[in-house]
Amino acid sequence: MSEEMAASETTVKLDRVSKSFGEFTAVRELSLDVRAGRVFGLLGPNGAGKTTTIRMIVNITAPDSGAILLFGRQIDQHVQDRIGYLPEERGLYRRMRVADQLRFFAEIKNLRGKQVESKIDEWLARVKLSDWKNKRSMELSKGMQQKIQFITAVIHDPDLLILDEPFSGLDPVNVELLKEIVLDLKRAGKTIIFSTHQMEVAEKICDDICLLNRSQKVFEGSLRDIKRSFGRNAVAVRCEGGDGVLDDPALVSKVVRHADEAQALLASGADAQTLLKRLIDSGAVIDKFEMMEPSLNDIFITKVTEPA
Amino acid sequence: MKKFLSVVRREYIQRVRTKMFIVSTVLLPAVMSLFGLVPAIILSIETPPMRVAVVDQTGRMYSQIRQSLFSDLPEPEAQNSNTPRTTPRRGFSRFIMEEVTAGNQSLDQVRTNLDQRLQSRQLDAYVILPPDFLSHGKAEFVNRNPGDLFSPRALQSAINRATREQRLIDANVDTKTRQELFKPVELQAATAGTGGQERETGNRFALVFGIGFVMYLAILMYGQIVLGAVIEEKETRIAEILFSSVRPFALMMGKLVGVSLVALTQLAIWSLAFSGFALYGAGVLASQGMPANIPSIPLSHYIYFGLFFLLGYFIYATIYALVGSMVTTAQEGGQLAMPIILILVVSFYLFWPVSRSPDSPFSFWVSMIPFTAPVAMLVRIVTQTPPFWQIALSLLIGFSSVLLIMWVAARIYRVGMLMYGKRASIPEAIRWARQA
Repeated sequence: MSEEMAASETTVKLDRVSKSFGEFTAVRELSLDVRAGRVFGLLGPNGAGKTTTIRMIVNITAPDSGAILLFGRQIDQHVQDRIGYLPEERGLYRRMRVADQLRFFAEIKNLRGKQVESKIDEWLARVKLSDWKNKRSMELSKGMQQKIQFITAVIHDPDLLILDEPFSGLDPVNVELLKEIVLDLKRAGKTIIFSTHQMEVAEKICDDICLLNRSQKVFEGSLRDIKRSFGRNAVAVRCEGGDGVLDDPALVSKVVRHADEAQALLASGADAQTLLKRLIDSGAVIDKFEMMEPSLNDIFITKVTEPA
Repeated sequence: MKKFLSVVRREYIQRVRTKMFIVSTVLLPAVMSLFGLVPAIILSIETPPMRVAVVDQTGRMYSQIRQSLFSDLPEPEAQNSNTPRTTPRRGFSRFIMEEVTAGNQSLDQVRTNLDQRLQSRQLDAYVILPPDFLSHGKAEFVNRNPGDLFSPRALQSAINRATREQRLIDANVDTKTRQELFKPVELQAATAGTGGQERETGNRFALVFGIGFVMYLAILMYGQIVLGAVIEEKETRIAEILFSSVRPFALMMGKLVGVSLVALTQLAIWSLAFSGFALYGAGVLASQGMPANIPSIPLSHYIYFGLFFLLGYFIYATIYALVGSMVTTAQEGGQLAMPIILILVVSFYLFWPVSRSPDSPFSFWVSMIPFTAPVAMLVRIVTQTPPFWQIALSLLIGFSSVLLIMWVAARIYRVGMLMYGKRASIPEAIRWARQA
């Protein structure tokens, strides 16, 4: 970790940043603090302004107003080399061999010389693609290409890693593999910005989150704080009979039924005790009745569907 | 700068390594040498000589014709040092001559005999010169193979020369006077102000034209590749990764320079191959007594040729890059760039007005406009070399335009990249260039 990072706890700071494209405002008055050494989830539905925000952070587009600081300073070429970026729109040179390709991407991040070769071997081994080193990328499957793209973002050992929908289209085994790598990088002190609309994934790896909706920040904070603020207002129920009770809008605002279990979100003013009593009274045989934290997915949907 | 060089190296190595490049580089000289060699081989195939019988009723012509046909004298009207000789070349027309005297036979009998010999293939053709041939100049010619175009012509010009010679002898003109009369004239190309020193302006024009043509070829071949290179990152969606690391201008320039180095590599290999052929060809011609003229040109002109070739290539290649920054597929781009290449063709037509008055205001201005400067300025340099400041200014304007166009292209590219799948209209492109 560099001295600058130690000096400032914040790796990325956005201060009232706005960006419009013609009539359309993509990001409005957004302020953010991405803390060093943590995984920061930038969440939101499609079109919320996530990608525009990221593009401003990596200096692809400039904000119309507001300020962005990386590692405590304005972005320049030197700072840019400390960022690893995996955009949502990504690809590889089709006819280029994997090793040549990785070498090129390392070079344009100013990583040169012998260490590049060892980095290439090291990373290919880590994503289990060593045998494909001298193949052209067009010969690789889509999942393999995605892992190579991931390497292009991390090969120069960046202090800040920005991943935009990194796992989309990957099989569960590879999602697990990349997730482990991301968590390893975090343990090594790297800061990671992680953008997705897949809440289950975000829930597992993010320390802090920021939810964007319609160009604006809905909330920001640590995942734990957010869940706490929502309270334990969901119940997991496994029972036979008593279906009508879960459908009573006075008690339950929303119910999601899985194969053998239902998740009920309590209506405001109702409490779990009343629900349990009503279920027993209705003659239901209860296998499981458990107070649950709201899932990030529930919070996301609640917040996004709230009238603005 | 290092990143720029990385982009250049990637473009260069990736392209030079392709089979396509290697094959086309080797194939073109091979095909060209084939085109050069095959006709030469075919023409050098020995054909049997033409057997010609001459019935000379004048009694004076046969020996003259023989002499004229077998002496290697060039035709008087073709005696010019710059044009190749038009004497019957070996392989085209060789003759076996035979004089047939009528003797006691009537002309019809002789003719019948000759016709029989033609049919039995003992003879290929015969000529009957009537007694009044020298005054009327009409002879009868019968050829077994009317498809042979070359031999009768060679025969005719030989008879022509012989007749002229004989007429002069008949007019009592002595040998020395005859030679004097046929002494050819020569037009010597000279430029005013050089003290009558001979300068081969014609050859220089050919050289300017040649350079213009190679430029045109290079743009036709590589413009499309520049376009493809610029679009490549859009199509493969790598652009966004690159732009988080490299400035768009460095990327665009890197691509332009990388592809151009590939073009120059290929052209260098080809021109080496061709100068090899040319030297070999000149050697062959020289050994046959036909020395080839290599135009004598000052060294500074060679440098100008090189510089204006580069300017011409780059100014048009940048147009392809600019178009590439606006479109999403190579096909679209090709159509869009074509009208601009027409300007290059038009600039060839400027050749004539500029070469006629190289120091007119018109010539000055067209040699300053980047798109017409490469051809126009070269014409001016070889005809009436303009002051150095004009040449320098033309180069400065030209190469600054290259940088300016690339800068605009980079800005359009950067904004266009953020809107995948959308082709920019011209007003949009202008707005993007302003806002980026």
